[in-house]
Amino acid sequence: MNRSKSLGVALASVLLGGGALALAGFALASATPHQAALNCVPSQSAANTCNLNLSTFPDSLAGEHGKTGGDHPDWVSYSNDNLVVPANTTVNVTIDQYDSGGSLNNAFFDQVMGTIGGVATIDGKTVSSVDPTNVGHTFTLRGIPGSGKTLFVSVPLPADSNTQAVTIGEGSYTKPVVVQFSFKTGAKGVYEWNCEFPCGGGREGQFGQAMSTYGYMSGTLTVN
Amino acid sequence: MFWTWAVITVAGVLVGIYAPSRLMPRSMSDNMHLTILTMIVFTVAAAPVAAGVYAAALHALRHWTHKGDEVPAAGPAVRENATVVTTWLLVSTLLTVFLLIWGLGALAVDNGSTGKNPLVIDVTGQQWVWSFSYPGTHVQSDQLYLPVNREVEFRVTSEDVTHGFWIANMGVQVDANVGTITTIHTTPDKLGTFDIRCTQFCGLNHAFMVTEGHVLTSSQFTSWLASQPQRA
Amino acid sequence: MTTTLEATKTAAIPQGGGLHRRLNMLTAMIGGALFAWIFWFLAHHFLDPTSRTYSDEVTVSLTFGWIVGFWLGIGAFNAPFQWLVGRDNTRDDDLYLAGQGQGKAKYWKFTTDHKVVGVQYIIMTMVLLGAGGILAMAIRTELIIPGNHFVNQQVYNGFVAVHGMLMILALIVAVAGPWGNFVMPIMCGARDMAFPRLNALSLWTLVGAAALLLTTLAVGSLTMGWVVLEPIADQAGVGMDFFAMAIIVFTVSTTVASVNVICTALTMRTKGMTLARLPIFVWGVIIAAALGLYAFPFFSLVEVLTMVDRTFSTSFFIASGGGTGWLQANLFWLMGHPEVYVILLPSVAALFEISAVMARKPVFSYRTAIAGMTGLAGLSILVWAHHMFTTGWAPTLGGPFMLTTELISIPTGLFFLVLIGTLWRGNIWMKLPTVWMFGFIANFIIAGITGIYLSDIPIDNQLHGTMFVTAHFHYVFVGSVLFGAVSALAFWFPKVTGRFLNEYMGRISFWLTFIGVQVTFIAMFLSGLRGMPRRYSSYAMIFEHTNFITTIGAYMIMAGMLVLLGAVITSWNKGEPAGPNPWHANSLEWMVPTPVPLENFDVLPVITEDPYNYGEELVRS
Repeated sequence: MNRSKSLGVALASVLLGGGALALAGFALASATPHQAALNCVPSQSAANTCNLNLSTFPDSLAGEHGKTGGDHPDWVSYSNDNLVVPANTTVNVTIDQYDSGGSLNNAFFDQVMGTIGGVATIDGKTVSSVDPTNVGHTFTLRGIPGSGKTLFVSVPLPADSNTQAVTIGEGSYTKPVVVQFSFKTGAKGVYEWNCEFPCGGGREGQFGQAMSTYGYMSGTLTVN
Repeated sequence: MFWTWAVITVAGVLVGIYAPSRLMPRSMSDNMHLTILTMIVFTVAAAPVAAGVYAAALHALRHWTHKGDEVPAAGPAVRENATVVTTWLLVSTLLTVFLLIWGLGALAVDNGSTGKNPLVIDVTGQQWVWSFSYPGTHVQSDQLYLPVNREVEFRVTSEDVTHGFWIANMGVQVDANVGTITTIHTTPDKLGTFDIRCTQFCGLNHAFMVTEGHVLTSSQFTSWLASQPQRA
Repeated sequence: MTTTLEATKTAAIPQGGGLHRRLNMLTAMIGGALFAWIFWFLAHHFLDPTSRTYSDEVTVSLTFGWIVGFWLGIGAFNAPFQWLVGRDNTRDDDLYLAGQGQGKAKYWKFTTDHKVVGVQYIIMTMVLLGAGGILAMAIRTELIIPGNHFVNQQVYNGFVAVHGMLMILALIVAVAGPWGNFVMPIMCGARDMAFPRLNALSLWTLVGAAALLLTTLAVGSLTMGWVVLEPIADQAGVGMDFFAMAIIVFTVSTTVASVNVICTALTMRTKGMTLARLPIFVWGVIIAAALGLYAFPFFSLVEVLTMVDRTFSTSFFIASGGGTGWLQANLFWLMGHPEVYVILLPSVAALFEISAVMARKPVFSYRTAIAGMTGLAGLSILVWAHHMFTTGWAPTLGGPFMLTTELISIPTGLFFLVLIGTLWRGNIWMKLPTVWMFGFIANFIIAGITGIYLSDIPIDNQLHGTMFVTAHFHYVFVGSVLFGAVSALAFWFPKVTGRFLNEYMGRISFWLTFIGVQVTFIAMFLSGLRGMPRRYSSYAMIFEHTNFITTIGAYMIMAGMLVLLGAVITSWNKGEPAGPNPWHANSLEWMVPTPVPLENFDVLPVITEDPYNYGEELVRS
């Protein structure tokens, strides 16, 4: 094969191969599972403030997994994993906690950290820490490492010991524990949050299964 | 060939002397100063060796390649050269021994605790958060605070899987393992802020298992400790 | 009297073969799928679905079924079963199994001819490199800018281990597979390998293992590195079980292949082929095979223990049950370090061979080459804990392991002595194999020196777990081993296909890849020096420039590899024709015609000297 023909084949190989890869890349990026975004609702009463309402459930029958609870109906879940809030804003978070609980494996997380005032309101009462033997989940948010403001928010969500029955979606629960707290966002970017009270798979580090899967006990907070 | 070797060696030596401190994070501890010095020494020592290989290869490409289309004639049928092999073995052994002695020396300095009542800090890694606690006080924090010029002993453990506790500015790294405590010492000697990153792939948010550390003056550190909420 | 060769020239497909006549890769996959389903069904039926380990139990069952069915479907058990019932293979059976008269179909079957197995290994190497390469592109595309914009953390984390494992598998077989099989027996003057059926078994087992590894991606993959450390491996989903089984199956493949290589080289050399007259390439393959025979069972062991921990809730590696993750790390690295030399040695040995032919001189200090390779292999057994310097496992052992690791630089240095000594004052023929060899030399020195940095504990305390380490071993694997593998491909391509690998495209590929390697991995060293840990799906702003440059370099390497692929595909049937000895070399594989006849030699040669006497009457074109 002469030089120009060889060059042609070389070019074709790169273009065809590169094209195939690019196509595969697009397919991969689009196929990556994505829950619908939960946008923080701008507050009517205060400037630069918005409200975010979440829930934590003992299974996946409520929330975004659809009627049958998706792939893992028995996994504990947050109602939404794809949170979107504006930059430089005070975010008021309300979490309805429907799940039972137990003793924290790492008592570090019984403290409320990183919120405005360092406190959270639980069923109307303002506290800065909870009983570590009676925790359901936590909401722990961490910032983009090494970029802009370090953001670290961690709020323990006490276990639900109410008895009054409540139905949401296909799930039957009891009246939730309501946890409210606020924090300020800074720079734009995608932050990661998850529950720090492990209860999924494995024996020792129980951070497998629901704990490490988006849509259950892990999610993102996009600040834009 | 000699000049090619010389030029590459000089370039390598210059890179060795000037690059490490500029390419690596700002040194904030005694360990880190020694680590950077070791990088310099190793690079300077490696420069003539690498230069030798490159000079020989370049010389071969320039002077010993066959020109023309026909099959090349045979080269000199040299199978052995006792002098060359012996010299090579000797030089490479000496170089290795030198690097070894330097390394073992640096290791001894690194590992030696000064014994001077270090500040003990318990470091706990959990997927995917670092937490620090100061024994003797009831203070726990998600960021690390250290007083300058005081030796600190980190006692590191994990709640779930193996994490890597790493302070890049101080040249300290040790794994956080479940069910056991690993220890590492350093003495911070510069004020400022630094990052602590996890270096052992630990699941979903491994890349986000980062937190900040701060080296404060003695009095600032004491004030900080006093201002922290007391935990049970 | 007709010789074997004359008889086979005119022979049609032999009558024999039995069941093998109907078996091929398709029946293997069907068999594998069928038995996977049967074992899945049995497990599903009889096991308690509420048990914590249910999904692991089912998966282990299923994967076991896959490999048993695959082996049945390809005909791996045919001969042993026949032996059991007293029906030994006839000459016709053997000829059928060797692929006589079957044309292209033999490449899809359990064919015992070492040359067919060699070509099958070329294909497998390309498949594994291609799959691993696609994942590399996905990884680098994610890392082109900070943040997770391409895929999310969860998906990205799943790529990392499988990319690593696919590439490691690809490189283990990259030179030893194709050329250890195709060329090595001929170099020894043998008609085939010592155990031809085991040869076919080693290849098809690799295919079965690769299928399991690729399936890992589809079932959730793993969020830990290819080292699958414990205790995090205990947390993983069923992807871990697929991964572990892939390794266990792969170990069967390498064990069988190692035994075959060693026995062939030790017992089947032709008359006069003393060990001192053996081409240096054969030495390299033997030493690598022996090292692999020692090392890979550790891998298989540690994955078995991991699976047992996961499936039966034992606690070899679980601290709360009395075990420790350190045991896993030790067992793994006992394999992991020798393994990188199993990967390196065949590549280096091929380059020794190629440098002699292309410089038209004997290998400089053949004995140093052997001593270097043997010393490297021997020492490699004693260095494993340098991967564990920062684990906190055994601080007092830091010094001794630093000693052994730094000592390894001595035999490694000898490789440069031999290569440069061979090229010294030679009449260097700058053809494609030579070009890639020079690339190896340039890259390997960087690989070696950066390894020495890491062997020093204070430096390792800083650089362990950072992109510096990743860049170091990529200089070894991509910069050095891959360059040696491509050189070997260009060198022996004419023997396999009767055509030259396109010189021009090969050079375009070389420059794209060579420059790509420098751009990619020097920028990666800088990322690591600055403080960027490994296996991060997203990173701080201070690392953005070096990462961007690294990704551009990676795209260049990909372009280079695509051009190489194009060259291989077009040259295979349409390349410039080459005679049986285009490089005018002296080793036995060049003395036989191209295409190489079924049993290699009409009459087994008698050897009177080593193949490095250039300029003397022995050279025949």
